[in-house]
Amino acid sequence: MKLIERRVTPVDSPFAIACSMAVAVVAAMVVTSLLFVLYGANPLQAYGALFHEPFATWRGFGYTLVRTAPLALIALGTIVSWRSGFGYLGFEGCFVIGAAATSWLALSTAPGAAIGPLPFFAFLLMPLLLSFAAGALWAGVVALMRARFGGNEVLISLMTNYVAILIVQYLVSGPMRAPGGVPETAQLPRATWLPFILHGTRAHAGILLALLATLLVWVSLRKTPLGYELIVSGLNPSAARFGGIDVGGRLVLAAFLAGGLGALAGTVEVLGVQHRLMDGISGGVGFTGIIVALLAKLNPLAVIPAAVLYGGMTVGANAMQRRAGIPSSITFILQSLIVLMVLASDILRRYRVNLAALRPVVKTETR
Amino acid sequence: MPAFAMRKIVKRFPGIVANRDVDLTIEAGEIHALLGENGAGKSTLMQILYGFHSMDSGSILIDGEPVRITSTKDAIALGIGMVHQEFMLVRRFSVVENTVLGLKENAGPMLDLHQASRRLRRLSDQHHLAIDPHAQVQHLPIGVQQRVEILKLLYRDARLLILDEPTAVLTVHEKDQLFSVLRALRDQGRSIVIVTHKLQEVMELADRVTVMRDGRVVGAVSTRETSEQELARLMVGRDVNLRAHRVPIERGRAVLRIDGLHARDEVGQEKVRGISLDVHAGEIVGIAGVDGNGQSQLAEAIMHLLAANQGRVFLNDQEVTRLTVAQHRALGLSYIPADRRHVGSIPEMSIADNAILGSHRERTRGLFLDKRRIREHAERLIARFGVRAASTGAMAGKLSGGNLQKLILGREMMQDAAAIVVEQPTRGLDVGAVESVWLELLRERERGTAILLISAELEELMNLADRIAVMFEGRIVGILNAASVTVEKLGLMISGIALPNATPDQSA
Repeated sequence: MKLIERRVTPVDSPFAIACSMAVAVVAAMVVTSLLFVLYGANPLQAYGALFHEPFATWRGFGYTLVRTAPLALIALGTIVSWRSGFGYLGFEGCFVIGAAATSWLALSTAPGAAIGPLPFFAFLLMPLLLSFAAGALWAGVVALMRARFGGNEVLISLMTNYVAILIVQYLVSGPMRAPGGVPETAQLPRATWLPFILHGTRAHAGILLALLATLLVWVSLRKTPLGYELIVSGLNPSAARFGGIDVGGRLVLAAFLAGGLGALAGTVEVLGVQHRLMDGISGGVGFTGIIVALLAKLNPLAVIPAAVLYGGMTVGANAMQRRAGIPSSITFILQSLIVLMVLASDILRRYRVNLAALRPVVKTETR
Repeated sequence: MPAFAMRKIVKRFPGIVANRDVDLTIEAGEIHALLGENGAGKSTLMQILYGFHSMDSGSILIDGEPVRITSTKDAIALGIGMVHQEFMLVRRFSVVENTVLGLKENAGPMLDLHQASRRLRRLSDQHHLAIDPHAQVQHLPIGVQQRVEILKLLYRDARLLILDEPTAVLTVHEKDQLFSVLRALRDQGRSIVIVTHKLQEVMELADRVTVMRDGRVVGAVSTRETSEQELARLMVGRDVNLRAHRVPIERGRAVLRIDGLHARDEVGQEKVRGISLDVHAGEIVGIAGVDGNGQSQLAEAIMHLLAANQGRVFLNDQEVTRLTVAQHRALGLSYIPADRRHVGSIPEMSIADNAILGSHRERTRGLFLDKRRIREHAERLIARFGVRAASTGAMAGKLSGGNLQKLILGREMMQDAAAIVVEQPTRGLDVGAVESVWLELLRERERGTAILLISAELEELMNLADRIAVMFEGRIVGILNAASVTVEKLGLMISGIALPNATPDQSA
């Protein structure tokens, strides 16, 4: 009997999946330890420094949540579009478009501006709707091109990122620029800021929005006929068409939802953290969010934990540099390794370990 | 002493034993059929002989001498050649280029194609293969491509030719040509193995047959001393009804009416050129034809999965030509596509989720899918149509072809459709599964459904259909009464060789 035996079909119980992911994370950490050693640091201390601040200090945990919210929203957008068969990569663009729309709206409510000051709760829904709509249209155009003309959405969406970023660059250095040296808008009126939710931290209500979005995405994908149609369209477009599903329409719808979610990430960042629009506001979160979705294996319920882990490590990276003198960029290596290992960890579920093989063979002679 | 012998071959794959103590003996100058259902282990056995798989135990003897075959290279060197079901040809290469591909003698820096093509031409003439060595493979019809594969083996002077399901893609005419080529090769003393699950072909072509079931050999007999019925029983392990019993019933009104339909395929070729046809309640109308004569496009045009350029489709006197698939389903027009895994089902989803494809909008409670009712529906389907599955939550992709087809049939039939378009319902299925699919179609006919059955299997049409329309190059070249037609006549008609002196349409 072999100690390690190949299974005919991989185990797919939630426990097995969780175990294989845990093994993947540990493996990534072990590999990264070698890098820590190269820098002459004790890996355990380095990991202590990396994880202590974001997860064991109140203030740091607040920052973790701040990082989590946009990552989670973009990951959810990725899940909606990818599971519907729409390989959208334009979240960086959606993010800045949403941020720009939100900033414009918020600035219009500044004292003396077009709309005038509004109480926060009267204001709250407006940027969410506007931003969602703007992102939806931004991504929807790409979907239309794919559904109508058969364009390649991966390339087109990637290119739209640059268009969006340049548009925002123009806005902050032209029409929306505040007087002063830096290309950025004026600070948004305080009344439009998202409330801070944990006392003594920077954690803002955006995380609640991300939680709500997680729930909505999960319910609509898993529990509704519409979600069924989206997933069938993604898995097998011919079967979907044969089943009477309007695949092109579903594609556009998926793009709307994805783009909207991506834009909400921008809204959250502007109203919760930056409180103004500036060039380079996205900082690559539109791509990191996609990685979080991969880490969550395109399962909406796994998005929040994955985003917390990812966001937390980003926060911890700086602390680690300060306290252990290790370059924070090692964290990026660790993050990437985790994703690689998690994606590769499926192979673990194809094998079983026969502990019985370890026991000495006892020769049992019948008769 | 047999030319080729496999003794006590054992091959295990994780979880299953594909071959258990299999013995196979092939004489020189014989055509040997290896018969068995899908998954019986016949392909594995041949892949061991051809060096694709290693065996766990057993031995291979050639002319009584034990040999070691660890790679296809060894097999080729020992004179063993194989023609796969999917041809291994580079479509943009010429015949001669394909032939010398990967051969040792051309290891020098320059290819000597002239000499090779001279030899190919000689071989082709000698065996009456009629192949131009310089023709590009992509321009050759399927039947000729298969002869190219055989020519390749002859060029390497193979003594044993293994053909995996050789007739699956051939027209009747091409099949006859292939058989005469194979017989000629046998008469030169070569050995030929055909791997198949088609009983008629075994009886027609083979000298001896080895039947496998569940990885074991369950019989090795001379075809002269056996019958189709006996072979079927050996293969399936129980008595199988090869003749479907069709109850005579009074057919009803015309439910599905097709009037002058024209349609083009994705690349713009006109594939359906003016088809008119009525299908009545309680009637099965067969469409006979070689693949690629527009049958698939006809089905898709009826369902409006492909836009018709001209013509109309009526369901119960209501025009449905340009309605969406969803609307068709609501009105009672169902479709069972030929491609079970890519069109008919979503392999990555559960059986329950597959069972509601097309009717998923109705399976709700409030805003949400009603998971309990969906599961119950799937359980009813599994029970009624005898789908063998672990549970309704199992992935559809893990079902065998026959069980998946039963799931799809069940899904469409439980919709109580008025008319069903069925395309190649038993392609690639085992005898046992074919039998149950046929029974379900006949039961549906007795229920008064109008069925349009598109099939390349003439036996199937003869057994099931009330009338058979023969389709050739996008047109119906004749509608025959199934009771009064012979396979030979149908075979000639679908190859476009004999045009009917029109057995008149009985529907007048």
